Amino acid sequence: MSIFDTSANPPIRARHILRWPDMPWYVTLATVWLLLVLAVALLADVITPHVFTAMDLNYRLVPPFQTLAHPLGTDELGRDVLSRLIVSIRVSLLIAFGATVISAVLGTTLGFLAAHFRGIVEQAVLMLADFQAALPFLILALSVLAFFGNSLPLLIGLMGLYGWERYARIARGLAISASAQGYATAITQLGAKPIRVYLRHILPNIASTLIVSMTLIFPEVILLESGLSFLGLGVQPPMTSLGNMVGYGREYITRASWIMLTPATLIVLTTLAVSLLGDWLRDKLDPTLD
Amino acid sequence: MIPFILTRLLRALITIALVVTFAFVVLRLSGDPATIILGPEAPPEAIEAFRKSWGLDQPVLVQYLQYFAAIFQGDLGMSMRDGRPAFELVVERIPATLALTLPALMLKLALGLPAGVYAALHQGTAFDRSVMVAAVFGFAIPSFVLALGLVLVFAVNLGWLPSGGRDTVWHAVLPIITLGAGGAAALARFTRSAMLEVLGRPYIRTASAKGLLWAVVVRGHALPNAAIPTVTLIGFLVGSLIAGAVVVESVFSWPGVGRLLVVAVANRDLAVVQCILLLVATTMVTSNLIVDFLYGALDPRLRQGARAAA
Repeated sequence: MSIFDTSANPPIRARHILRWPDMPWYVTLATVWLLLVLAVALLADVITPHVFTAMDLNYRLVPPFQTLAHPLGTDELGRDVLSRLIVSIRVSLLIAFGATVISAVLGTTLGFLAAHFRGIVEQAVLMLADFQAALPFLILALSVLAFFGNSLPLLIGLMGLYGWERYARIARGLAISASAQGYATAITQLGAKPIRVYLRHILPNIASTLIVSMTLIFPEVILLESGLSFLGLGVQPPMTSLGNMVGYGREYITRASWIMLTPATLIVLTTLAVSLLGDWLRDKLDPTLD
Repeated sequence: MIPFILTRLLRALITIALVVTFAFVVLRLSGDPATIILGPEAPPEAIEAFRKSWGLDQPVLVQYLQYFAAIFQGDLGMSMRDGRPAFELVVERIPATLALTLPALMLKLALGLPAGVYAALHQGTAFDRSVMVAAVFGFAIPSFVLALGLVLVFAVNLGWLPSGGRDTVWHAVLPIITLGAGGAAALARFTRSAMLEVLGRPYIRTASAKGLLWAVVVRGHALPNAAIPTVTLIGFLVGSLIAGAVVVESVFSWPGVGRLLVVAVANRDLAVVQCILLLVATTMVTSNLIVDFLYGALDPRLRQGARAAA
């Protein structure tokens, strides 16, 4: 093997790290599952066999795989489990996506503000992060939700407070070290406003770390929302979400366990898939994250 | 060391003050408890009397200051539902919650710590891989799904254990397993990565290169250093003893603090919710504070740094 033969050690190209062959089989499987779930969520209106609230009292508590009309069975009111599942996937994913984006934007902004102004602003941000850490989020969310009543936008906004302190910490740390590097100083010297330096130059440089954090926080948001909805304090009927379905199905656990098992399986598989993908991305892109 | 302790204490106090403020703002300003408790059709005089007796007719700032003052006198308000002191209501639920969370914590520590250390020392073996797989599943399975799964198998199908309530010791088995299992997997994973990080350090290589037995290296050098991050996580687990069982208590109809919180939130029983919020935050802040002090004992660098700074 000559020293010019680079086949054994291909050059590392960060942009091309996400090639198929590099993925272990379970990450590939996770990705396929996520794409499937995403497609279901996007096409929910087209592919639901029944209206998800439609009751069919002739077909109550039909077990799965019994009739073609209700492949995953029906619940106590004769509502089609498959249709409810599809709509639930859409609602749960919508909340999780919305919340993750809000939290990432909020956290990154606060982190940048802390890095830019230092002093009092930084102390205030750190103090807020301390506050968030002092209160388990479920307790915080429970009180806010029940007392402000319950609507989908509020739920998304509230979930959007989840995990912001992790983005803030990462953004602050990385922005401080980026400011000390040549490129940020050079742009500042050329007369760029701070907002341009942060958004156009520092953000792209730390984006991969932030994206990895998003994939790690996303499944936690799904779990949180489903927990709240399970307790009956999240998404409210007639709207449905995966946690809601489990909470409803719990009443029929002895007679019709499929009502609860189908959405529960979906929650577990989806969280599992996102966290497998997130773990793998982290190992690939950013080994320094914990 | 003294300035270090004082700064930490001050931060802890400010955090608790923030939580009090948050509780006040969210719970007091989000709706009118009088109409909620008495119903929208209640006569205006009844509502007026109710507002007066609960101090709801005062300006918000006065209510806020009164609230702070009351808390420092140990008065956390009365439950609007049954008229008893909220603090009393919450405190009498604590033993029930601890009856679940303490054994669950023991289970987590007894399974998680050794499994994590062993997996790190035998990286890449079947045991290590199964710890990692268990940890990933432990994270992905929400506690209510695990709880209902256990109920389905052990209560509904096998009929070995009761599915809810708190009559015998057997009623606690499924909730404790639910709480302990997921936590143990997470703790094992965390311990494993803390241990692996330490094992990769140059001083471990030095220690084995100078001829120390591997067992001595692990006991004398690796374990104490890996203990430092692990203590933080354990501190968090201790801090959530009071409120770490909201969902599990609800599934198993266990009369603990978590169940009380869910019911109080549904009834908008402000005093009880505030009391639980404060209690949870205080427990968490206190256990973080203890962790900070333990750091001083565990990590000589911190002691040195504090002394140099003083």
